[in-house]
Amino acid sequence: MTPAYRSLAFLLAVVGFILVPLILPNPYYLHLLILVGMNAVLAMSFILVFRTGLITIAIAAFWGIGAYTSALLTMRLGIPVWASFPISTAISAAVAYGVGTVIVKKGGFNFVILSLVFSFIVVLVFSTFKFFGGHVGIFNIPRPEGITLPFLGCLQFSSKVPYYYLMLVLVLLVILAYRAIYASWLGRAWRAIGLSPSLAESIGIDVFRYRLLAFVVGSCTCGLMGTFFAHYYRSLAPATFDPFKSLYVHLYALLGGIDSALLGPIVGSGILILVPEALRIAKEVEPVITGILLILLAIFLPGGIMGTILRMVNGLRGAKK
Amino acid sequence: MIRIIAQLTLDGLAIGLIYALLASGFSMIMAISGILFIAYGEFYMLGAYILWGLMVPLKLPFSLSLCITVAVTALLGGLIYLAVFERMQGRKLFFLVSILAAIGIAMAMKQSALLLFGTESRGMPSLFNRIIEFCGLTLTLEKAVLILLSVATVTALHIFLRGTDMGRAMRAVSFNVEAAQLQGVNPKRVYLLTAMIGCGLAGFSGGVMAPVYALSPEMGMITLMILLVVMFAGIGSMAGALLSGLIVGIITSFGQYYIGTGVAQILLFTTIAVVLFFRPGGLFAETRDEML
Repeated sequence: MTPAYRSLAFLLAVVGFILVPLILPNPYYLHLLILVGMNAVLAMSFILVFRTGLITIAIAAFWGIGAYTSALLTMRLGIPVWASFPISTAISAAVAYGVGTVIVKKGGFNFVILSLVFSFIVVLVFSTFKFFGGHVGIFNIPRPEGITLPFLGCLQFSSKVPYYYLMLVLVLLVILAYRAIYASWLGRAWRAIGLSPSLAESIGIDVFRYRLLAFVVGSCTCGLMGTFFAHYYRSLAPATFDPFKSLYVHLYALLGGIDSALLGPIVGSGILILVPEALRIAKEVEPVITGILLILLAIFLPGGIMGTILRMVNGLRGAKK
Repeated sequence: MIRIIAQLTLDGLAIGLIYALLASGFSMIMAISGILFIAYGEFYMLGAYILWGLMVPLKLPFSLSLCITVAVTALLGGLIYLAVFERMQGRKLFFLVSILAAIGIAMAMKQSALLLFGTESRGMPSLFNRIIEFCGLTLTLEKAVLILLSVATVTALHIFLRGTDMGRAMRAVSFNVEAAQLQGVNPKRVYLLTAMIGCGLAGFSGGVMAPVYALSPEMGMITLMILLVVMFAGIGSMAGALLSGLIVGIITSFGQYYIGTGVAQILLFTTIAVVLFFRPGGLFAETRDEML
C-alpha cells in the first residue's frame, strides 16, 4: 500500500469511527468500543517499550497509578477533571522515571521480574492503605465537567457518547504521537536498540537513557488511559490493576502481531473484546475460550494476526514475480 | 514469647515447605525444559480439589487419595506437555510462545474450576481429629502429616536428581542440551519426565495442603508468588528454591502475626526486589551473572 492509500484508509477509518454513535447508538456497543480503544492503547504502549527490548509487566500498574492519582486529585484536592488529565499523566511519568531509573538498567529477564514485583507492590499498596480506599476501592469519582464546543453547544458527560468521542480523540492523539515518535530520530534509536543493544551502544546510543525514555513514555500513556478509566468507570478496585491485567494486554499485542505497533494492538484487542460478545459467549465461559484460543495461537500463529496477514500478502507478492 | 516464636516458626515451616515444593518443581521445569510454566499454580489448585473430591464425596482414605492425586496431575502435566509444548520445541521465540500457551492453559483451568466449584473457598472436614503437643507447641495431625510428607518428598526429589541416572540426565539437560545428547541422553524423554514430575509435585503440594488450609479456585494465583521465590533463589538451584521457600514461608507466618498480612506482603516484595536488584541472578544462583 502506498503512503497515499494508507493515509486515505486511515482517514476513512477515522470518519467511520466518528459516525459509529450515529449508526449504533446502543450504549453497550459504545462501551465495548471504548474498552477496545483503551486496551488498544495499553497494548500499543507495551509494544513501544517492547521495541527497545524490555518486556514490561507494569502496564496495568501504571494504568492503575494514573487512575488512582486522578481519582484522588479530583476527589481529595478538588482539582477539576480536565486539569487532572495532564497532571496525573505527568505524575505517572514521574513515577515511571523513578522506577525506571532503578529497574531499566538491569535489562532483560531481571527487568521483567522487577516490573512484576513492582506491579505486585502497587496493587498491595492500593489494597492495604485506607488512603487509597483499601480492598473496596474508591467510588463516585466525578465525571469530566461539561465543555462548550463552538458548534455543538455544551457537552455534558452524562451518557456514553461523549466518553466515546473522548476516547476516540485520545486514541487518535496517541496514534499520531507514536507515529511521529517512531518516525523520528528517537524511534530510530529505539529500533537500533531493539535490534542489537550492543551494536547500538557501539555507535554511540546511550541504551539506558533511551530505554528509560521509552519506558516513561509507554508507562505515562498507560497512566493517561488510567485517568480516563477513573472518570469513565467512576469506581476503582485494586484487583483490576493486578499483573494479570498486564498479561491480558500482552495477549492483545501478541494476537495482533508483535511486529505491528499501531494496527496490531487495535486488531488484537478488538478481536478479544468484541468476538466473545458477538458470539454471545457467557461471561463465565469466556476465559476458557480465550485460554484455548491462546494455546492455539501459540502453537499455530506465533506471528499474530497481522504477522500472518503480512506473510500472506508477501507470499502473494512473491508469487506474482 | 519464645513459645509464640517457636509456634510461628512451626507454622511458617508448613507454609514454607509448600512454597519450597512448588518452587522446586517450577524451577525444575524452568531450568530443564526452559518453559516458564505460568499454569503451575493451577496444577496445585487441581491437586487440592482432586484430593477434596476423592475424600469428601467419595470417602476414599487419605493415602490412596493422595497417590491418585499425584498420578492424575502428573499424567495431565505430561499430556499437556505432549499436546502443546513438544511441537513448539525447535522454534525461535520458544520462550515467549511457551509463556503464551501457559497463560492460555492457566486461564482455561482456572475458569473451569470456577465454573465447577464456584467462587467461595471451602475447607475440608478434619481427617484425623488429633492434635499433637510437644514442648508446649501444638500441631494438628494434618499439619504434621503435611510437614513430614513434604520433607520426605523433598528428600526423595533430591536423591533422585543427584543419585539416579535419570536425575543426572535431567540435570545435564538443564546445563546444556546438546552436550547431554552427546552423552546419550534422550531430551524428549527428559522433557516429558520433567513435565510429569513437576506437575506431580504441584499436585502433591495441593493434595497435602488441602486438609490444612482452605481451597479456592483462586489458589492458582500462587504461581506469581512462586515465580518470585524462584527468581529470588536463582533458577536451577534446587537447594536455593528449597531454602527460599522456607524463608518466605516463615517470613509470611511472622509477618501475618506481627504486622498484618498486607504490610507484611509489601515488605516481603520490597525485600525481594532489593535482593534481586543487587544479586540479579538470585541469592543462591550457581553463576554470578544474570539469566539469559
